[in-house]
Amino acid sequence: MTDTQLPLLEVSDIRKIFVDRDFQTPVLKGINFTLQRGEMVAMLGPSGSGKSTLLSILGTLMRPTSGSFRMLGRELTTLAEKELSDFRNQQIGFIFQYHHLLPDFTALENAMFPHAGRLWRETRTGRERAAMLLERVGLKDRMNYRATRLSGGQKQRVAIARALMNQPALVLADEPTGNLDRENADQAFALMTEIQRETGSTFLLSTHDRELAERCERRIYIQGGVVATAPAHRMPLRVIAGEVAAVIDHTGGSPPSDDSRQRA
Amino acid sequence: MALEFSMRFDLKVALRYLLSNRLQTALLIGGVAIAVTVFTFNAALINGLAEFQIDRVVGSSAHVTIEPAMPRPAVAPAADGAERLVVSQTALERREQIKEWRSVERIIDTLPGVTGVSHNIIGTGLVTRGEQTLPVSLKGVEPGRLAAIAPIDDNIVAGEARLGLNDVLIGRKLANDLGIGVGQPIFITSNQGRERTLTVRGLYATGVDSLDARLAYVNLDTARVMFDLPEGLTEIEIKLADIYAARAVARQLADTTGLEAVAWMDKNQRLREALEGQGNSGSIIKMFTLITIVVGVASALLLTTFRRRPEIGIMRSFGISQRFVLSVFMLQGALIGIIGSLVGCFLGWGFSTLLASAGEGARRLPVDPSLGQYDVALLLAAAASIAAALWPARAASRIDPVEAISQ
Repeated sequence: MTDTQLPLLEVSDIRKIFVDRDFQTPVLKGINFTLQRGEMVAMLGPSGSGKSTLLSILGTLMRPTSGSFRMLGRELTTLAEKELSDFRNQQIGFIFQYHHLLPDFTALENAMFPHAGRLWRETRTGRERAAMLLERVGLKDRMNYRATRLSGGQKQRVAIARALMNQPALVLADEPTGNLDRENADQAFALMTEIQRETGSTFLLSTHDRELAERCERRIYIQGGVVATAPAHRMPLRVIAGEVAAVIDHTGGSPPSDDSRQRA
Repeated sequence: MALEFSMRFDLKVALRYLLSNRLQTALLIGGVAIAVTVFTFNAALINGLAEFQIDRVVGSSAHVTIEPAMPRPAVAPAADGAERLVVSQTALERREQIKEWRSVERIIDTLPGVTGVSHNIIGTGLVTRGEQTLPVSLKGVEPGRLAAIAPIDDNIVAGEARLGLNDVLIGRKLANDLGIGVGQPIFITSNQGRERTLTVRGLYATGVDSLDARLAYVNLDTARVMFDLPEGLTEIEIKLADIYAARAVARQLADTTGLEAVAWMDKNQRLREALEGQGNSGSIIKMFTLITIVVGVASALLLTTFRRRPEIGIMRSFGISQRFVLSVFMLQGALIGIIGSLVGCFLGWGFSTLLASAGEGARRLPVDPSLGQYDVALLLAAAASIAAALWPARAASRIDPVEAISQ
């Protein structure tokens, strides 16, 4: 990462207010941060802090109420639905807490779905890439199994392969290990880190798992709908609960005391 | 594996969805098939019935009848906008007849598809036998062309189909009413006051009561004398190879001869009304079968859409376009429609064939399996299924991925 390199993602003052009849629920209250190319960043914060909403917005599945974000130098908040869909297909990969595989399709078909769905047909290149990815996540002998016949850990590994299918610039993972036991969670995480290093993709993953977050290059703390932009060593050590909302930790030091895992 | 490289991916997904819920798919296809079976059987029955009725009427009557032109009174041109009232008294006009029938025949000879022509003099009269007197229609025909229009020679039940100058052919019912048989004489008075004693040469039975009780055939030359028409004819009857060409032929004849020419369908208003009534009730049944298809397919696909919401959300999350999702659900409707209507056409044809050969004589249903309108049924049922899929497919393509995934 050099200073002259354009950041992959620049998020400025993203706000999201959910409106239900007369009730307005502000979830994001002005989010600012940037992601550099090739970074692996963990996003921490208590449940309901807006992590999932932020991931949905960055993944172009949801539009922010206000604010803007640029990815690869392109302003995404103003794109039309069809352009967003294409952009999402080419540049963004999703990994969810629940694998969300398509149950009627095999591991191979699931992995190549983003590719075949874009082209409206299966191609040899698509099939070969999907097979290569499944081999990479250790499912070479499970490629033609229906999704329903795979174990939880295997399903999540197929989901990782699927997210990487179209060689996206950014992979967004929402609690990717949240539904796995320790062993499978470690395995899946290790896989993501390795692949991230190999491909040079940028990973932004939300997690409740402190241990895994520690293993990322950088951590973003979200609470009450905002992110602090200063690195942790410059932040005041005394955190007044509910006032200082979030801290970005560049050093790997200790996060705020109100860690979500203890709350949850 | 290598086989699937060329298959459209939306089609593959649609097929996979249909196959993953086999019971629902089978029920849907069965539903469409039953609707199409009803559609095609209904068509085979209604159309077969119509053919049967037309055949009965048209088989023994003329397809085009040429009659004398209605005399048009000479009327002075009226001033612009002025109404004209013309009163004419038909009885005082000269008797209507076709005098120029020889030139008309030359025109008829040039027409293609004419299979028979009969030159007739029609009139009314009274038959007397002993104390009995009955009204009768007399039809004078050329002896050589007796069977040109109605197959009288086939209908002869006693005696022979021959018309000498003193012969008459009468229906069996009239013969019964008069208590008379072949070889016996009857006394006939025409409405022109001419009297003649003729010998019953043959008895016929067409099965149509009004003919068998009222119509008598005589030699054309005999009729000329009895109706005082030494030159003209009262009508020319024409039989065609294609009965549905009758209107066009009639129009052409009217235009070239200046005479009245009437096609069979315009002469038999009751038949036409009956056919129209049957056709309309058939159309209503067909419409309901199509509505059944639309309602069934739409509701089932809507349920499928709802059940697959999370999956659709996931597809959308990795950038599968709304058009692709739309196409997957439209294809499901189309596949159900096409397969269902193919099965239905087959069943409808089988059912019609079975019923067409069951029963005997008058008890047999006039079903004609070849008139099942299978092409129309196939087209309409497929179109109905695709139309029915439109709404669920649109709903599917508009699913909000975030909401669907968090479900």
